[in-house]
Amino acid sequence: MQFGWRPGYANRQRKLALLTFLRTLTVVISLLWVAALAPPIFEAERASGLDFVLQNSPTAQKYLIETMPGGVALLDYNHDGLLDIFVVNGGHVSSPMPVAENFERHDPRYWNRLYRQNKGGTFTDVTQQAGLADAGDGNYGMGVAVGDYDNDGFPDLYVTSYGKNVLYHNNGDGTFTDVTAKAAVAGGGWSVSAGFFDYDNDGKLDLFVVRYMDWDTRHSKDCGGNYHTYCPPEEFPATTNLLYHNNGDGTFTDVSQRSGIAAKKGRGLGVAFADYDGDGFSDVFVANDGMQQYLFHNNGNGTFTELGLEAGTALSEDGRRLSGMGVVFQDYDNDGRPDVIVTELPREIYGVYHNDGGGSFSYRSLESGLGVLSSGSSGWGVGLEDFDNDGWKDLFVAQGHVLDNVESIDHSLHYLELPLLAMTHEGRFERVDSGSTTPVAGRGAAFGDLNNDGWQDVVMTYLGGHPQIFLNHGGKAHWLSVTLRGSHSNRDGFGARVQVNGQTRFATSAGSYLSASDKRLHFGLGTAEKAKVEVVWPSGIHQTLNDVPADQFLEIREPEKP
Amino acid sequence: MIHALLIALLWFGPQALSPEASEHMQAGIAADKQHQFDAAIAEYGKVTELEPSFADGFISLGQAYMEKHDFASAVAPLKHALELDSSSAAAHRLLGYSLLAQGYAAEAIPHFERVQDKTALGIAQIQTGQLPEAVTNLQAALAVHPNDPDLLYYLGRASGLLSKQSIDSLIAAYPDSARAHQAMAENYFVLRQMPEAEKEYREALHLRPDVPEVHLELGEVYAGSFQWAKAEEEFRAQSKVQPGNAEAAYRLGAALLEQGKVHAARAELARADRLLPDMPETLYSLGKAASLDGDATAAEKEWTRLLSIEKESSLAAQAHFGLASLYRKQGKTAAAQREMQEFQRLQGGSAQPQAPGKQNSQP
Repeated sequence: MQFGWRPGYANRQRKLALLTFLRTLTVVISLLWVAALAPPIFEAERASGLDFVLQNSPTAQKYLIETMPGGVALLDYNHDGLLDIFVVNGGHVSSPMPVAENFERHDPRYWNRLYRQNKGGTFTDVTQQAGLADAGDGNYGMGVAVGDYDNDGFPDLYVTSYGKNVLYHNNGDGTFTDVTAKAAVAGGGWSVSAGFFDYDNDGKLDLFVVRYMDWDTRHSKDCGGNYHTYCPPEEFPATTNLLYHNNGDGTFTDVSQRSGIAAKKGRGLGVAFADYDGDGFSDVFVANDGMQQYLFHNNGNGTFTELGLEAGTALSEDGRRLSGMGVVFQDYDNDGRPDVIVTELPREIYGVYHNDGGGSFSYRSLESGLGVLSSGSSGWGVGLEDFDNDGWKDLFVAQGHVLDNVESIDHSLHYLELPLLAMTHEGRFERVDSGSTTPVAGRGAAFGDLNNDGWQDVVMTYLGGHPQIFLNHGGKAHWLSVTLRGSHSNRDGFGARVQVNGQTRFATSAGSYLSASDKRLHFGLGTAEKAKVEVVWPSGIHQTLNDVPADQFLEIREPEKP
Repeated sequence: MIHALLIALLWFGPQALSPEASEHMQAGIAADKQHQFDAAIAEYGKVTELEPSFADGFISLGQAYMEKHDFASAVAPLKHALELDSSSAAAHRLLGYSLLAQGYAAEAIPHFERVQDKTALGIAQIQTGQLPEAVTNLQAALAVHPNDPDLLYYLGRASGLLSKQSIDSLIAAYPDSARAHQAMAENYFVLRQMPEAEKEYREALHLRPDVPEVHLELGEVYAGSFQWAKAEEEFRAQSKVQPGNAEAAYRLGAALLEQGKVHAARAELARADRLLPDMPETLYSLGKAASLDGDATAAEKEWTRLLSIEKESSLAAQAHFGLASLYRKQGKTAAAQREMQEFQRLQGGSAQPQAPGKQNSQP
């Protein structure tokens, strides 16, 4: 065969190329036009009845706790099908604090609050009738974890504090009971984020509690010379995290030492769970502040080994320590493996650790575009959710600097910030309007479908103010919401790997910062009207559902047999 | 500094003194050695009473006062010594120090000039505002005593003040000139007042679009406030005006890298490397860009080049960390471990929690 110059072929190619170019141009112009006219995905609002104010009580003493709260949880505590909101309050801080610390949490202003969602999207404060009033003495509230630790079908609450933590058992009748003493999970010190997960796949949810540092008001100090700022974490000793094993009888055993978790001291703030190496056991990522990040690999025998450096998740691309605060452990680029995104302080850029498989991660903050979106911001609560139901998970970050006087130190930084909303496509993040116009000191963030319209919403807390609800306007794309009901596995199905039309989510309510999200797994389907759903339960059972109609809330029960 | 120099000016011993004066002189020296300065002053005082024409007696008395840090009392005997022997280098030097220590820099200068004490002269000239002369004298002194910390400090101070003096004159004489706006912008930049710095740089460019370096500096303003696209624009403008400016090429490459524009970043960084080879910052960024671009071979080459130039710096640590990640992904476990160990060694142990006490300077 002879190859040669073929003018006719070349002309056809040129015409085709021109047509392709024109089509592409038309699409690009249309997209730009749509983008220019498209309203924000969210409407930021304060829901009726949601009158909670996060009392962080900043003082001239610059006690570090003041700048760290507070968590928010989305859960359907009363099984009415609507997500309710639980918010954690800080407390009153005296200046200076007396030796016998008292945060006046008997005072209703400093209570944590539970808001029941009513039909119509309004909320009613049910704190007192639910038995959650009066947060006790000596506690300054921080975060919340949600999970059905006793597999009775009702979500329970674990509230972390500077001081003692509290486990509230959901009685199933709209009330909760403080079972901390019986369960033996009070912890102590300064607990921050926490999460339920089943590390040994015994069908019962265990509890991981992140602690920030060895600090108390008596050993506090301020930093920054004449600026009087909150001190960086390096000023105080590191401490250990806690792992409680669920005994199945309403009690837990502290296995922090035995499991190897306590072998590594850190300055943790955020925690998230996923099985990053596909060995069937949930691993733990702890976002540490001002030091290396910890990736606790679950060895499958009740012990963990910290492998952050070996796996490539400990430091930045340049080997720099990060101020890890919030964390999400989900698959952002639809390759089926859970990736890690850690929120941090300005000039560090949020860390994107792409899971390459084989237990190894690559730092992709710059290539993913998130670096340039985050280099001047401080991130806390974070979630990867498909907000536009296009089949790619998007990113929401609650933002605001640690230091309330940062502008006087560095004019290019801001204490109050808007949240970051970045849409994702093919693993690349692009900023869009979050719908919020008022900068705040954002902290906690929880994700879920508040109005059951098939579009993910966000609730964000910020210091000194009411929780902000980001209600998704919705659209025409299809979606599927999956609720897992485990039988061999834990009833919430936490730790399950769920794939829907090529997208993967790892079932959990943990992640973000101090917060707990809707346990339902949300998938955007784009134009697809049907879905193939594959579940790998923590028990090891594989389950496949074909031709599942879109636009529904689907409960999947774990089969008795594989 | 003065105290250190005093030690070098030891008295050389009694010369043709009466036995009684010689005895007091020896007693003064002994007391001096034991840092009993009041006793030394008393002994030298008796020497000067017994031998009023003995210049070295007055010099010793002045020196003892200086050692006691009583510079005011040292002046009279040292002046008297010079009346007796106007050529005494020791008396000139010590009198100069005594006067300078009390802030009488202008009076001290002739004495330092007399003995050509460049160090003291330079320091005195800073105080009298003779900044160009101070810089010249301190540079001469530094050539004789390289890396002397005091000299380095005073030279830096003199140069800084000279720079400020020039800029102040510029702003006072030509407040609406491009250069004045550039100078004000630089001040704002140092104070991290980025909006004000940007405004002044923009005004400088408006008045004189070809003024050198402004695009580069404005780019750094944008980079400092995380506006990477704007920074890229300015660095690109600088590179267009000065295609031979390696720093502009490097900064442009770095700005592109921050935005994840890896291919373009590699091209600019390679250009920076051609313009000014073997700059560690360029080599590190080149390796990083290559690594992000999936070109492990090039990344390894650039980081290895960097490590052949710098072995102990923070950039070297970063290069070791990069190599460790690269080898880990290639399954070269032993090499990865070796690089990680080097990284941890240079980090001063590890990336583990640090002991309390370290102040984080970055908000």
